[in-house]
Amino acid sequence: MGKTDEPLKEGGIITEGDLRKVFWRSFPLQGSFNYERMQNVGFCYSLLPILKKLYPNKDDMAAALKRHLSFFNTTPQVVTLITGACVAMEEENAQAEREGGSFDMESIAALKAALMGPVAGIGDSFFWGTFRVIAAGVGCGLAAQGSILGAILFLLIFNVPALLARAYGLKLSYKGGVSFIDSMQDSGTVGLLTECAKVLGMCVVGAMVSSMVTFSTPLVITIGDASVELQAIFDQVLPCLLPLALTFGCFGLLKKGVKTTTLMFALIIAGIIGAFFGVL
Amino acid sequence: MVVQALLLGILAGFAMWDGRVAGQTMFERPLVTGPIVGLILGDLQTGIIMGASVELVMMGIAGIGASTPPDVVSGGILSTAFAILSGLDTGTAVALALPVATLGQLLGIFDRTVNLFFARIADKGAEEGDPSKVTFALWGGAAVFWITSFLVVFLGVLLGSAVIEDFVNWLPDFILHGFEVASGMLPALGIAILMNLIFDKTNAAYFFVGFVLTALLGMTTTGVAIVGAVIAYVIYQTTKRHQAELASVTVAPTHESDDLDGEL
Repeated sequence: MGKTDEPLKEGGIITEGDLRKVFWRSFPLQGSFNYERMQNVGFCYSLLPILKKLYPNKDDMAAALKRHLSFFNTTPQVVTLITGACVAMEEENAQAEREGGSFDMESIAALKAALMGPVAGIGDSFFWGTFRVIAAGVGCGLAAQGSILGAILFLLIFNVPALLARAYGLKLSYKGGVSFIDSMQDSGTVGLLTECAKVLGMCVVGAMVSSMVTFSTPLVITIGDASVELQAIFDQVLPCLLPLALTFGCFGLLKKGVKTTTLMFALIIAGIIGAFFGVL
Repeated sequence: MVVQALLLGILAGFAMWDGRVAGQTMFERPLVTGPIVGLILGDLQTGIIMGASVELVMMGIAGIGASTPPDVVSGGILSTAFAILSGLDTGTAVALALPVATLGQLLGIFDRTVNLFFARIADKGAEEGDPSKVTFALWGGAAVFWITSFLVVFLGVLLGSAVIEDFVNWLPDFILHGFEVASGMLPALGIAILMNLIFDKTNAAYFFVGFVLTALLGMTTTGVAIVGAVIAYVIYQTTKRHQAELASVTVAPTHESDDLDGEL
């Protein structure tokens, strides 16, 4: 890391220290989440130190604030991929204005609108789809045995990659600007990493079915003198057959568009009815 | 009792802030709040176990995109508190987490609507070129989230625990047993929601790798995570090498993106 008071780019205005402020301000992204423009206030808030430095003039500041209060929504852990590119563009804009030229301000708004979808796609599949699954799988396994390590590992497995992505995302997207995110998508590396992360996620999800779903039947079938425990038959076919079937049943219904909350209450009612008739 | 309710309310306020102002570090999840509730109420062990059980049920609940999900903060904290204060068994307490989370969801919708007011203040700041109004709007919205979350849990613990105890005692046995059964089944839904996020034809086979390792060979989830990481690493390396070979056949390889590999 260089000195914090020198501009990062040749002839630039933004310093390491400015970027650090943006980094810390990228955390409260959803502080004022609202239904109209989602994370807009949080995103604008993260850029305030930059805007104050670049636009001492009130009119310029007003225009900049308006630009960054437009609709915004992406995955919080990777938001800096967009913030960094915006910092770079605002800096270019301010420089162009000082030199008497003009900069296409609409391109900043267009950039944000174009990036938040793809960035959220990457962020959701990595952080919600993979790291959280692995973290919860490992953490719940330990915590179910009564170990406090479960909660600690859960936090570590999720947050170490999340913080790295946030910190490097800001630096790389500031340095590379829009072209960085384009090249990231074009190179295929992100696509490949996403696929690999999903493979790991699927392994853990498969493990969760047998270790965390408890679903069996106490039903005993009596034919003449012989009585057969139904569960014993299932176990002979395949251990955890019922949890597997139940999981795929839920998965199929979700695919068909049945709502999560509906399924949730359906399972509770199924449990009560099953208990009433003694089949579960 | 009031002190404990206050402490739990404060915990709920900050757990809600995890996703709002701390960049979503998963501190809000029941797996983490459970042990803290246990510490506050003097029963760490139950807190840990309840945290794991509620996490399994709510695992699939995630605030992805624009939707407001059931509230894992109040659901996790209150159900764990009830389990300890009212002496409920795990299954019943876990089943209680869901109605609580649904109530919390309604308040979450209320918060996000009230925040429109703060978004207006931010807009006004933009008109005037006054950044301090944006700062005010952000922390004003954050305060609304903190206060509602605090109130739900504080009042829930204060008024709820006695009522819940009576209510559960009044419930017939088969319903309580039903809750027990349901709390074992509900993780299947959570897992199905996760599958919905990452399942496709190319990686479906790996689901069964994890399943067989645990169901037939008795491996732990941590073990499976390591095996999965090895498989993912091998796939990454092989595909990279394959790509490099292809590139060297046709054109000179471009290394412009290689420096990202370690970081993403």
